[in-house]
Amino acid sequence: MKLNKNYIQTFVFILVYLFAIYFWSQPFQDKKLPYGEYDAMSHFQVGDYIAYNDESFMTLPSYIDIRYGRDNDFRPHTLWYPPTFHTSLGVMEVIGGERIIPVYLLNTIMATFIIITSYFVINSLFGFLPAILSSLLLIFSPRDFMPFLWGQWPERFAYAFIPLILYCLYKYYISYSKQNSQPKYLYLMSLFLGINMLIHPFVFFHSLVGMFVLYILLWINLKKFAFNIKHVIIALLILVVFFAIFPYQTGNIFVSFQSSTSGEKELPSLSRLFHWSLDPKDFVGSVPAFYFSFKEMHGSWTLPFLLLGIFFLLLRREKRDLFLLAWLISLYLVLHRDMIGIATFLHRSLSATAHVFAPLTAIGAVYLASFIKLPKNYKNYLKFAIAIVFVYLVFSVNMATASKTMNKEVYNPYSQSGFFTTLNDAEYQAGQWILENVPQGYNISVLGIVHDLNILSATAKKIRWLGAVSQHVTRFYYLLETDEERKNHLENFYIMVDYSMLIPLSNQEQFANLIKDMQEFEQNTLKNHTLLYNDNENHIRVYKLETKQ
Amino acid sequence: MKLSNDSKELIVFLSIIAVVISIFSFVLFGITGVRVFIGIIFMSLPFYLLLDNFKLTLGEKFVFSIILGITILPSLAFLLGFIISFRLAIWAVFIVLVIAAVVLKKHIKSKKN
Repeated sequence: MKLNKNYIQTFVFILVYLFAIYFWSQPFQDKKLPYGEYDAMSHFQVGDYIAYNDESFMTLPSYIDIRYGRDNDFRPHTLWYPPTFHTSLGVMEVIGGERIIPVYLLNTIMATFIIITSYFVINSLFGFLPAILSSLLLIFSPRDFMPFLWGQWPERFAYAFIPLILYCLYKYYISYSKQNSQPKYLYLMSLFLGINMLIHPFVFFHSLVGMFVLYILLWINLKKFAFNIKHVIIALLILVVFFAIFPYQTGNIFVSFQSSTSGEKELPSLSRLFHWSLDPKDFVGSVPAFYFSFKEMHGSWTLPFLLLGIFFLLLRREKRDLFLLAWLISLYLVLHRDMIGIATFLHRSLSATAHVFAPLTAIGAVYLASFIKLPKNYKNYLKFAIAIVFVYLVFSVNMATASKTMNKEVYNPYSQSGFFTTLNDAEYQAGQWILENVPQGYNISVLGIVHDLNILSATAKKIRWLGAVSQHVTRFYYLLETDEERKNHLENFYIMVDYSMLIPLSNQEQFANLIKDMQEFEQNTLKNHTLLYNDNENHIRVYKLETKQ
Repeated sequence: MKLSNDSKELIVFLSIIAVVISIFSFVLFGITGVRVFIGIIFMSLPFYLLLDNFKLTLGEKFVFSIILGITILPSLAFLLGFIISFRLAIWAVFIVLVIAAVVLKKHIKSKKN
């Protein structure tokens, strides 16, 4: 039986993609607990609310509203983004039958979808070898998985649309003629562009720039102007439907865009045009400095291949080459939008670099053999030898760097810093109990998740994760409050006393004292209130603050 | 219905892929992982059937239907979720989309004849 070459290639890609899923899902493979920065909480909360409560919502539930109530400038207290991405997580939570893994696994699939769309497009235009090498390189792109770990989930997925949108435009353009064109590709482009806007408006603008550049390059190269008023009207109508489907959120896009472009801004000097990346000093406290380093993000070894790839495409200038060049130019334009005064989230556009650099690097490597004068057979051997070296370097350099970053304490919820940011099993169970037993409208005060300025940035996340899991407003309870404050506080709240975090730290004096204070507080102040939840093993208790009769 | 050799080959290939992905999902995430894989097929299927009516390559149909499935179906379910239960809304949207694909196929077939 002769094996179909396409099937074998697809099978190889599936294996590579499964490896990507394995690599990216490491943080939640062992412990099935939610984790991530503040953005991650919000995305989890929205999808989880819809699935768990079996209903859509217009006005934000109070535990989400407390942080995001003002994020929609057009219609405050409603969702700030269209619900498409979050509802997808919600649908998967329903199908998956539990709250954590389906959400995190689907999110991982969506965040790595750029590997699928990039493979599909590069394979269609340049063949299997550049496509598979490029996919392999993308798996270990820190500028992709770091924002994924930081919680910029929809943005990660939205970038997967750019190659598809450009591909559809490309297919429409090259097939265009007065007698025979393929408008379906233009309609599909419009469809993807509309969804792109629903997933993340920021990337939608990136797609528009890409389309513009590709259109101009194809126009110049093919010397034909692909414009059919009927096709364009239908494509625009499709887009209008997407703009109209969630009006409050679309309204927010326009209002936010207006406010980000208005006002006088200091423009950077012209020398900025000759820099690809940005100055890390401008982003201290936002992203780590190595995020701006080519060496750390792509590996120095990729640079010669990347330059070779660009050089090769510029030299050859076939239609398909223009596709990648347009993508590259559009990324350059988007990255330099500060030159016209639009600098909001500039560093986030940098996270799209590997999507273009990886295929260019792979093309540079694969076509290197064509620069050397050799008989055809030898050229093929050389091509595959270079591919083997390429794979070796990806694993030995990029995977090694990526693994270190992936396992750094700050990203690992089960390391020391993760201990302070992420719920442990017992806290998750308590949160679930609160969700099922505490009426909506009551807030939860937590004593035991440490409120200490030195670790507050970490424990504040733990408090918020408890809010996400319990679907209640949660806050720290301070033992230092005045009697008056305490009295007022005790009237309307449930209180969770949580020793599970402190017991492993009890060898430190500060925490041992806190345990003692908490025990006293429980005995003196809470003894007259109703104990509703008692996890003796992990020492977590929940009281309803009402005086026993 | 008699299947062509190409179709048979495709079915065998897809079955192998499905088994490999299911095993992978099960090993890493247990039965929930398998359910997520089934969920993606569930969301994508109506769009594959719809796109099958247009002359697209196999790769285009697969990639486009997955990306449409995990975005359009949930969006419609969200809108319907204001009127009925969200779980019911997911099923309702799925059924309507599958019916739309079948009707479209019949329409195109009758137009050709």
